[in-house]
This record gives sequence, structure tokens and C-alpha cells, in this order.
Amino acid sequence: MNRFLMGGMIVGMIAALGALPAPAQNPVQNPLQNPAENQNSAQITVAFSNPSQPRRLVVKTLMHKVTIKGYDGKDAIIESSAISERRRRERNIPPGMHPLNVGRGGIEVTEANNVVTVSAETPLGGGDIQIQVPVETSVTVNTINNGVSVENISGEIEVESVNGGVSVTNSSGSVVATSMNGKVTVVLDKVAPGKAMSFSSMNGTIDVTLPADIKANLKMKVDNGDVYTDFDVKVTNEAFDTTESKTGKGVRIRGNRTTYGTINGGGPEMQFTTFNGRILIHKK
Amino acid sequence: MTCEEAKTRMTDYWSRTLGEAGETEFNAHLASCETCRSEVSRVGALWQGLDLLPLEEPSGKVRDRFYEMLGAYRQGLAAAEARPAKRWWTIPAWQMAAAAGLVAVGLGIGYGVRGNGPLFGGAPAEVSQLREEVANMRQLVALSLMQQQSASDRLRGVSWAYRAEPSDREVLGALVSAVNHDANVNVRLAAVDALRRFSASPETGRAALQSLSKQTTPIVQVALIDLLVDLKDPQAAPELRRLSGNETANEGVRQKAQWALERLQ
Ligand SMILES: [Zn+2]
Repeated sequence: MNRFLMGGMIVGMIAALGALPAPAQNPVQNPLQNPAENQNSAQITVAFSNPSQPRRLVVKTLMHKVTIKGYDGKDAIIESSAISERRRRERNIPPGMHPLNVGRGGIEVTEANNVVTVSAETPLGGGDIQIQVPVETSVTVNTINNGVSVENISGEIEVESVNGGVSVTNSSGSVVATSMNGKVTVVLDKVAPGKAMSFSSMNGTIDVTLPADIKANLKMKVDNGDVYTDFDVKVTNEAFDTTESKTGKGVRIRGNRTTYGTINGGGPEMQFTTFNGRILIHKK
Repeated sequence: MTCEEAKTRMTDYWSRTLGEAGETEFNAHLASCETCRSEVSRVGALWQGLDLLPLEEPSGKVRDRFYEMLGAYRQGLAAAEARPAKRWWTIPAWQMAAAAGLVAVGLGIGYGVRGNGPLFGGAPAEVSQLREEVANMRQLVALSLMQQQSASDRLRGVSWAYRAEPSDREVLGALVSAVNHDANVNVRLAAVDALRRFSASPETGRAALQSLSKQTTPIVQVALIDLLVDLKDPQAAPELRRLSGNETANEGVRQKAQWALERLQ
């Protein structure tokens, strides 16, 4: 297996302008449907230096859409459809060719102390970054202009976007997520005991699905929206208007500021905050 | 049973995990040993002081929480030592607190013991000393968790800040620092809310106002505006007016600032 491992130094670059051909001997290939796309994608495999210790993936990007998926393997596989067809036309790149002057707009991948860091912090580039890591990996993602999707991860998940939506699905552990303008969607199959969580958005809806037996102390703050849940929430904030009305299958908790409540007797803090969106808390 | 053995079983005793035979043996030792008897009452009082011993809660959980807390404390201490002066503008105070906390932790797990009189009937000086130990330990847990790499742990640290004394300047300082510098938006948000615990301190309003002029994350700005309204701080008006008229500011933040101005008048 080809691994770019140089003792915690920069282990690889995926150029946004020039495509690195994926190593032929690499057994972990993600076959792409479109052969033209394949030419424009680059893939890199990075080993975690200490497989028996907790793993962490850190992603920082300005323009890319980031998708992270847990898989049944032990390396981090980073793939980027570095040049979109639109970009190709814009830059007048002849079909079947790629530019050689790499560097700017590149994606940098490093590994140190079991932390794989993927960063693409230049305003050039764009497109997608797809990353596969072992299911049990903690993940921290920061994006500015595009969304984040995390699937099938078990660990401490921290995701942040300014303009994109943020979604964590089919996962377990703990989630701390925010988006300024996008929606925050979280579906947790299982939660790590004792972990605090928080979900926030300025303009988007917070849509969180939790296991039915979760024990939590809820703090829900909305300015211009409402809070809906199908959990049996015991509202503990007496000063709050707790008029309940049935809407659809869920009970509606009405109000305009902060509501405190408990689920299943209470537990770690879970905070939900949105200014213009609404809060939906579903029972799984 | 020797005193040494008794000390190692003290938390098990309090968490009722010794089993019937173990408890009988432990009680027999207590009956004959004044030192261990007083130590047991100290540890118990410490636990109660930390709200770790709600009577209705099954015993195993109390124990788990206690060790979880100790673990968090040690983890935090290790992290603080590994990264000195990064976020701590009050290092000497932190180290003092750490030393005080170590004493409290030592008591909690039954090492480093000096037998004082029984606590519940003890002298007021001892009670206040214990109260101080409890406050120190809560402070330590809050401060150490707020230093962790994991945002979830830092959020837990912020919720521990609600248990600190309203006069605790260390915790207030750590919260203000989190509001201004924490890399995670949600931790900043939670820290703004936790400042309410310290609303009696004039520093709180000042810090919130200062932070509002620096924050660029709209949802955190909104939380700070809510805090300033709750603090009824008239000095907030000029900054709110500036914000509501700032055309480059987020639209929601401008609306919120306008709303706050009306409330403060
Ligand atoms: Zn003894």
C-alpha cells in the first residue's frame, strides 16, 4: 500500500489545478462513474501513526464541500474532485489535459500524533473533498462557503460552516455543530454518556434526531422561530409560557426566548440556538 | 482491615459498592478507628458538597461521576501543564488553585489524609475549610474542562461554571476568555450565557460590552445583546446604537440591537 507518511511532516498535496494520478497499487479505490471526472480527481491515503490510539481528523477549507464517511478500514482516504467541469470551461483547460503549475489552491494533507489534517484555505479551488476514515474517529470540520456532511462516524464530532448546511447522520458519540446561514441536521443513533452537545444557527433550522432513551437537560433558545418535539419534554423554566398545542404528531412548545427542559429525567446539557430558524427535536 | 485498606475502599463505601460482607468489615474497622471514621465523614461531606451524592441516585452512578470528574480534572491539569500560558493570563492563580484542588482530590480518593475531627459535628472553622475545598474543586473542574481540546468537554466546563461561587474571579476570567477566544462558536455561546452567574460583578457587563464590539459571529453577538439587556446595563446603549446603524453588520444582529435599545430605555 502506498502511504505518504513522513513522520508528521506534510504528507501530501492534492492540487486543485493539477491532478495527481491515484497510485495504481493503492487497493482502496473509489471507482468514479464518470471517466472524465476521474482524470480530474486525486486521491491520497494517509495512515494514522498509532492505530491503537484515538484518531482525529481535522478539516479546514474555504471553498470546498466536505463529505466525511466512516468506513471499515484503518487509513484516511482523501479524495478531491479538484476541478469541476464549470471551472474547466472558465479556465479554458483543454479536454483530457491538466495544468502542471500546481501549488495555489492545493489541498494540504498532514499527519502528526494520530491527527490527520486536511486544509484548503486559499480562495482558489472549490469542488468536493471526500474523506473516508475509520468509523471510530473524532472529526473537526471548519468550512466557509460550502456545506459539510458527516456520515457513519463514532466519536467527538465538531462541525462548523458559515454559508453551507451542516449535516451529521447515522453517527454516534457527541456533536457540537453550527452554521451561520445553513441548516443544522443531526441524526444520532447512540450518544456517548456524559457528553455535552450544542447546535446553533443564525438563519437556519436546527433539526436534531436523538435516541428515544436519551437523558438530557435541554436548553432551547429561539428568537423568531418555535420549538417542536415529539419527545416527552418536562419544561423546567417556570417563567416561560408553556402553552402547548398539538400540531401534527409533535407537541409544540411555544415561546420566543429560552426554554429549559429535561428528557427522561435529565442528563448532560444539550443546547439548541437559532435566531431566524426553528428547532425540531425528533425522537428516533 | 488496616487503615491503608480502609482508605482505598472509602469511595466504594460511599458509593455502596462494597457489598454486604465488605460493608460489615469496613464498619467494623470504623468502629475501632477514630482516624478512618473522621476521614469517612470528610469524604462523604465533600461528595455531598459537590452534589455528587443525591440520595435517590443509584450508587454505581455516583461513583462513575466521581471518577469521571477526577479524570476530567487530571486530564485538564495535564493539558494545562503541557500548554502553559496559552489561554491563561492568570497562571500563578491557576497554579495555586491547582495545588488547592490536589488537596481536595487527595481527600476525595482517600490518600493524603490528615485526620481532623468529625465534620458534621465539627468546629465551624473545619466546615468553612471544607466549603472552601468544595469551591476550589468545583473551580478546578470548571477551569480544567474549559482547557480541553474537545468542544464537548469545554461545554461541560462551562456548565460547571454555574456551580462556582458568584464571586469566583478565576472562573469569571476563564468564561470571559472563552467568550473572546474559544475557537468553537457553540462554546462561545454557552460561555456568554454562563456569565449570568456572575451578573453581580461589574466586570461582567464591561466584558460583555467589550466582547460585543469584537465578536463577528452573529449568533454570539445576539447572545451578548440578550445578556446586556438582562444586565440592564445603560452603558450598552452607545454600542447598541452603533451596531444597529452599522450597515455592514448582520441584518439579524442589527434588528436585535434595535430591539435591545428599546428595552434599555
Ligand atoms: Zn483506620
